[in-house]
Amino acid sequence: MMNGSPARPRRILVAMSGGVDSSVAAAMLVDAGHDVVGATMKTFCYSDDDAHADRKTCCGLDGIRDARRVADRLGIAHYVFDVEREFTRDVIDDFVEEYGQGRTPNPCVRCNSNTKFRDLFRRGRVLGCDGVASGHYVRLDRSRGEPCLLRGMDRSKDQSYFLWGLPADLLELLHFPLGELTKPEVRERARALGLVTAEKPESQEICFVPTGNYRDFLEKRLLPTHPALSPGAIVDPAGRILGRHDGYCRFTVGQRKGLGGGLPERHYVLEIRPGTRQVVVGPGHLLEVRGVLVGDLNWLSGPPSPGTRLAVQIRYRSPVIPCTVVACDDDSLELRFEEPARAVTPGQSSVFFAGDRVLGGGRIRRVAGQPGSPGTAGH
Amino acid sequence: MHRIRDPIYLDHAATTPVRPEVARVMARCLADDFGNPSSGHRWGRRARARLEDARATVADALGAEPATVFFTRGGTESDNLAVLGSVRGAGPRVGGTARGAHVVTSAVEHPAVSAAAAKAVEEGARHTVIGLVEGVFDLEALRVALEQGADVVSCMWVNNETGLRLPIPEIAAECRRYGAPLHSDAVQAVGKIPLSLAEVPLDMVTVTGHKIYGPKGTGALVVRTPELIRPLHFGGGQEGGLRPGTEDVAGALGLAEAVRLATREESEESRRLAELRDVVEARVMERIDGVRVNAGGLERAPHILSLAVPRVDPDTLLAALDADGIAASGGSACASGSMGPSPSLAALYPGDASASLRLSFGRLNDESQAERIAASVADAVTRIRELRG
Repeated sequence: MMNGSPARPRRILVAMSGGVDSSVAAAMLVDAGHDVVGATMKTFCYSDDDAHADRKTCCGLDGIRDARRVADRLGIAHYVFDVEREFTRDVIDDFVEEYGQGRTPNPCVRCNSNTKFRDLFRRGRVLGCDGVASGHYVRLDRSRGEPCLLRGMDRSKDQSYFLWGLPADLLELLHFPLGELTKPEVRERARALGLVTAEKPESQEICFVPTGNYRDFLEKRLLPTHPALSPGAIVDPAGRILGRHDGYCRFTVGQRKGLGGGLPERHYVLEIRPGTRQVVVGPGHLLEVRGVLVGDLNWLSGPPSPGTRLAVQIRYRSPVIPCTVVACDDDSLELRFEEPARAVTPGQSSVFFAGDRVLGGGRIRRVAGQPGSPGTAGH
Repeated sequence: MHRIRDPIYLDHAATTPVRPEVARVMARCLADDFGNPSSGHRWGRRARARLEDARATVADALGAEPATVFFTRGGTESDNLAVLGSVRGAGPRVGGTARGAHVVTSAVEHPAVSAAAAKAVEEGARHTVIGLVEGVFDLEALRVALEQGADVVSCMWVNNETGLRLPIPEIAAECRRYGAPLHSDAVQAVGKIPLSLAEVPLDMVTVTGHKIYGPKGTGALVVRTPELIRPLHFGGGQEGGLRPGTEDVAGALGLAEAVRLATREESEESRRLAELRDVVEARVMERIDGVRVNAGGLERAPHILSLAVPRVDPDTLLAALDADGIAASGGSACASGSMGPSPSLAALYPGDASASLRLSFGRLNDESQAERIAASVADAVTRIRELRG
């Protein structure tokens, strides 16, 4: 069966952020007759932020309060686990380091891969749980022995992009009750159950930067003299200076907004060069690349051999790109795109698919297979 | 399915159930004596009489004069009033505002005192914190602070996290010598240790109902010299103007009955609780390595057993115990339900960040539970340590 709820009753620890999705996930497991325990992870010290910023977050004290209210309503136990130290070490430090290097990380991927699920499993075992669930919009297909992670049915909400780093040995014990539902259906269920979180707005920002202002966040954690926060030149691919910027941490490859006045229309960030603090910009067609080199790999199925055809998604909500494996070892994977693709952003996740099935993923290191293109500098 | 055996409540330091005797007194008042004590008619007179009965009962149980007992809406309010009210009251003497006032507290105070002291600092006061030296209150540091003149000294009688007793008679003697008003939060002391204001004269004492089988939201501040403090609420002048607002007569009666019973039964109940605690302590220590009894070897109240358990994270330990039907707590309950660092434990064991488990005993416990409690704690700790690898 492909449903997110296992057939026979289990004792399941469900991650509850205080948002509508995880609330409904918990409710569905209760409804299916499981013995459900709720858990909210306190990942970040919110006292560092002002009270207003706090209100917008999904996992702050408001989130803990809402998760508790939902758990009380469902009649299940609920615990708060302080993972601040681990989260800072595994997620925030990496986020800061990546931006410092001019890359664009996915902290939610880091959290799912290294912190959240591993931690919940460990604690769940102590609590006598034999499974862990979350409100992610993905599915697990258990019909063919080894469980396969699939995209969520609601394509506009599908969160498989953020889950490629799950430890493969945990898949068997995971449950994603929302995988077959659409967001409106989830809200409808929350309303029908009278959950306080039914109308809660979506959290779009990452939990530890609720304002969405990464620069402010980085300024608190990097030395003021760090290159990522220091002025530099905006240059064209030939190295001609087109303008100035006040720190490359504001930029992401593929970005068009915020380049400042005076530039010709429709220029995009092509590359960030932390060594010289240069931000390279140019017309959109220069973003087109023919391949990508991916590192920090994780496989949910076995790694592919060269020549294998698969599909890769190189940013959240973007369509997949058909491609061929050029080379694959323990450390990295090189892919050649069948059609040129735009905006390969170092630091972002690359997720590999066969149809709806997630095969694995990694972090984009650089553009590949294109001599002379911006991303191959230093190759 | 996961089975929970009969749950055991081991969180009496957080709160307690209302005793039937207390509930009866309150129910009668709620039904019959609903009048407003400020009213001049017969209903008002009756309510006023009951309120004064309650005041006399509290005073008698604590060895104080009825005129010094002021009802509040709980321990936090009493502590805030004692600390901040004293600082604001000192204003006119030290230059018109709180600026220049001096607050002295121990390092192991409840947030109701330490946060009030922080508020006083915000208003311009100075705050001196008196630490512990190897677990013993630093009387020498207190003397140094008192040399500078203090407008209020606040030292809790029994620490809520560890059961540690501060040497209140000695502190009181020092304060008297320097003419400094002394407040003590006795919320965890009433009914747990012998306590008489006739023997240890303090300037202010906080008591609350819900830690001694009385109702929540009830408390009193004993104030020997009310002229010295300023109210934190403003209104109709009830409770001598120190805590205006229509009096909660039923709450005051419930508090009074709870204080009366707790002090009357103190010697017997504290002996029983000490024995139970010692048995649980011994059985836990037999089963788990490396556990430290917080405040062990120091003067402790009998109802709290605080254990530092290395290599165990406190959130998981409490969750595992709850899953097994054991209701305990960490340091003390905080808003997020997760535990931050505890200043009290840091004062006792500087530099040691071990998780602490607080088991607090009371009327819902007896010796037949000791074996199960110890086994459950040991089992949870062992499982967590195994999975931690």
